[in-house]
Amino acid sequence: MIRRTVVLALTLATITALSAAEPPKRIVSLIPAVTEMIFAMGDGARLVGVSSYDRYPPQVASIARVGGLLDPNVERLLSLRPDLVIVYNTQQELTQRLERAAIPFYLYEHRGLPDITQTVRAVGARIGSAEAANRVAAKMESDLDAIRQSVAGRPRPKTLLVFGRDAGSLRNIDASGGYGFLHDMLDIAGGEDMFADITKQSVQTTTEMILARRPDVIIELRYGDSAQSLDVKRELSAWDALPSVPAVRNHRVYILVGDEFVVPGPRVVDATRKLAQALHPR
Amino acid sequence: MLRISNVAFAYGDHPILHDVSFAVPRGRIVGLLGPNGSGKTTLLRIIAGTLPPDRGHVEIDGVPVTSLSRRAIARRIAVVPQETHSTFDFTVEDIVLMGRYPHLGAFELEGPDDRAIARDVLQATGTLALAPRRFATLSGGEKQRVVIAGALAQASDALLLDEPTASLDLGAQLDIAALLTRLHRDRGTTMVVCTHDLNFAASLCSELVLIRQGRILAQGATADVLTPANVSALYDVQADVVFHPGAKHLTVVPIARA
Amino acid sequence: MTISAFGALLAAVCLLAPLVGSTHISLARAFSRSVPFADNVDAQIFFIARLPRVIGAALVGAGLAAAGVVFQALLRNPLAAPETLGVSIGASVGAVVAITLLPAFSIGGISAVPVASFTGSLGALAIVYGLSAARRRGMSSTVLLLGGVVLTSFLGAILTLIQYLSDFTQTFRTVRWLMGSLDVGSYPPIVAALVPLAIAGVGYAMLPRALDLMSLGPDAAAARGVDVVRAERVALVSASLSTGAAVSLAGPIGFIGIVVPHLVRLMVGADHRLVLPASALFGAAFLIGCDLIARTAFAPLELPVGIVTAMIGGPFFLWLLFRRTR
Repeated sequence: MIRRTVVLALTLATITALSAAEPPKRIVSLIPAVTEMIFAMGDGARLVGVSSYDRYPPQVASIARVGGLLDPNVERLLSLRPDLVIVYNTQQELTQRLERAAIPFYLYEHRGLPDITQTVRAVGARIGSAEAANRVAAKMESDLDAIRQSVAGRPRPKTLLVFGRDAGSLRNIDASGGYGFLHDMLDIAGGEDMFADITKQSVQTTTEMILARRPDVIIELRYGDSAQSLDVKRELSAWDALPSVPAVRNHRVYILVGDEFVVPGPRVVDATRKLAQALHPR
Repeated sequence: MLRISNVAFAYGDHPILHDVSFAVPRGRIVGLLGPNGSGKTTLLRIIAGTLPPDRGHVEIDGVPVTSLSRRAIARRIAVVPQETHSTFDFTVEDIVLMGRYPHLGAFELEGPDDRAIARDVLQATGTLALAPRRFATLSGGEKQRVVIAGALAQASDALLLDEPTASLDLGAQLDIAALLTRLHRDRGTTMVVCTHDLNFAASLCSELVLIRQGRILAQGATADVLTPANVSALYDVQADVVFHPGAKHLTVVPIARA
Repeated sequence: MTISAFGALLAAVCLLAPLVGSTHISLARAFSRSVPFADNVDAQIFFIARLPRVIGAALVGAGLAAAGVVFQALLRNPLAAPETLGVSIGASVGAVVAITLLPAFSIGGISAVPVASFTGSLGALAIVYGLSAARRRGMSSTVLLLGGVVLTSFLGAILTLIQYLSDFTQTFRTVRWLMGSLDVGSYPPIVAALVPLAIAGVGYAMLPRALDLMSLGPDAAAARGVDVVRAERVALVSASLSTGAAVSLAGPIGFIGIVVPHLVRLMVGADHRLVLPASALFGAAFLIGCDLIARTAFAPLELPVGIVTAMIGGPFFLWLLFRRTR
């Protein structure tokens, strides 16, 4: 906690020092979440390059693509002549090359839900839009608070939050554990994580675990390009194989589609709201 | 008993055998003699039926080899290869019992008769004491004797041996020669022995077929065929051929390159 | 040890394994007829979660172990395994293609991935078979081995390429599949796997003595009356079907195909008439055992079973190698 505050303070100090100079006009962002943050602040026009996995907002369709976490296309990136590149803190090779090319970069670290608004503010300060960023972050915080309030006092159902499995069958299920931003969203939305006792971000789930732990609600998240052509009815019917599970018996299995569930940016509010609606239908 | 007629064979573009014809009378020991690369091993495989000739045919007691099933051939002809390498840890007894394969049905297991035959052939080759040992742990000479026992277990009329003494030391060579002679005397087995060792052939075989570059140079009784002229034609070596009274067979002494 | 001893071991393990798990269940309640199945949690854990898992492990373990025995004899190489000729990675490529490119479908309760996976294994088999059948005088084990190694590398590169081109979430799902999972959860995939396994079984029944003879060399086998070309083809097809069925059911699980045959040979000798059936039985028991450890050792978490087989199989295999070279 203390370490994080120190790091944040140093980051902000550096950023302020840097921003005393000209704010960057040609920004490349390799992180979809940060791209969304920049658009939310109203500075989307300053983006000249985004990652290959960006889908939102629609304006990104006309921006050049430069790869992603595993495969950044350095040539394409450099050809865009950026004056700021936002990279993952694990992309060491890329940062070394940017240093050699004397291009400033900003290191993004993927953390939990509470850190998203911190990141919004930090990015905003770095690109010289501190005020707009602050507004965005403050709105996100108050919206999340509102969601939390709206479900306060209601019973919290034991929830299995699935973020991956084989299509058409209950094999190779991956679910959220008691840690990480999916868990945080579930928590705000008023759900009790079935795997709260396992402090990992993801848990390889078997049919025995599900039958033994008996979740009241099952929520499956679907995202990415393949989610567009989804036969929801057929996929839901796969859960009929476990009839003793309360969620199946009471028809409380939901499939939620959308990238907002896996992009830790401003749309996390929409995602949390949708989770809350599934957990606590009015 | 075995008749080889006009056999020709080529590996792809390389001709190995050209129009080879000879006969192996029943109960005789015939030597196939020739330098390395003359086609002896290929000829042996064709006689055993494991390699189909491009032209010509092989008959066993008048029956073409190609018309017989693999099992039927195996009941008439047994082969002792130059080397036997066992991938897995078979015992000597395992190896010999495998020789009973052509006599057993698809799912039949070896019975007491088969085991009796195995014991018998191990005895005949002087390897009964080695029965429980792992084949891979034997010496070269012991291995060859076990493989010969395995071939005998096939209870075939003819035995084909490919360079039986090639990788053996002198003592083991004499042992094999003595063993084959004794087997021939006791069982009357027809034998075809492929070798490039002239003295071994002279000690064992009553008839010789000399092969050079895939063609028969000469064939006939050992005494008639094994002459200095033929040795020179076969090996490009000037040699003396002399009957050795102590060894009681012809011996060849190389003198110089011809 | 005799075959019946191995059979008894497998029967004991099969009876015990579904009873044990990370959750305590009451057997009386699981088999109680008074509670309807839809409400009976103990029954569902037993019949949906554990029993298909044990049966699946038995089939996969038997299939891979038997395939290992046959490949080792066919290639005359004690280090050969079901993975050697590329059939296993062909199955993996099929699965990855399904995960990444195919729309979700299911036929009779079996989803796209196992179907595509098995198709992939058949494709690899077709290539290897074509390679070997091109020679009219039967397969050279060197050619087969070389061809298999090259095919494995090539298919491995294709696998990596597909993963690279797919988006991040699909890559994660393929990595997950490649870890292997015995949590079958239903019976249709097991029944589907039984078809190629049964065909393989017919082939296996014809082979054992021929494998003994073939391991001495193709000429030696032919000279003793083995139809070598036919035996090689039956061996290749049976072992490949067996491997393809196993991998498409549970993903690639290593070490069983290599370790179990050698373990069994240490116990029963080299005669394939004993080694082949004993390996199938022991392989089944071994994998059920490894899966039991995988799902209970770190409860509530489950280890991928491939880790357990490797952690037991790896050191054992090294010890075996040292023993051989001394």
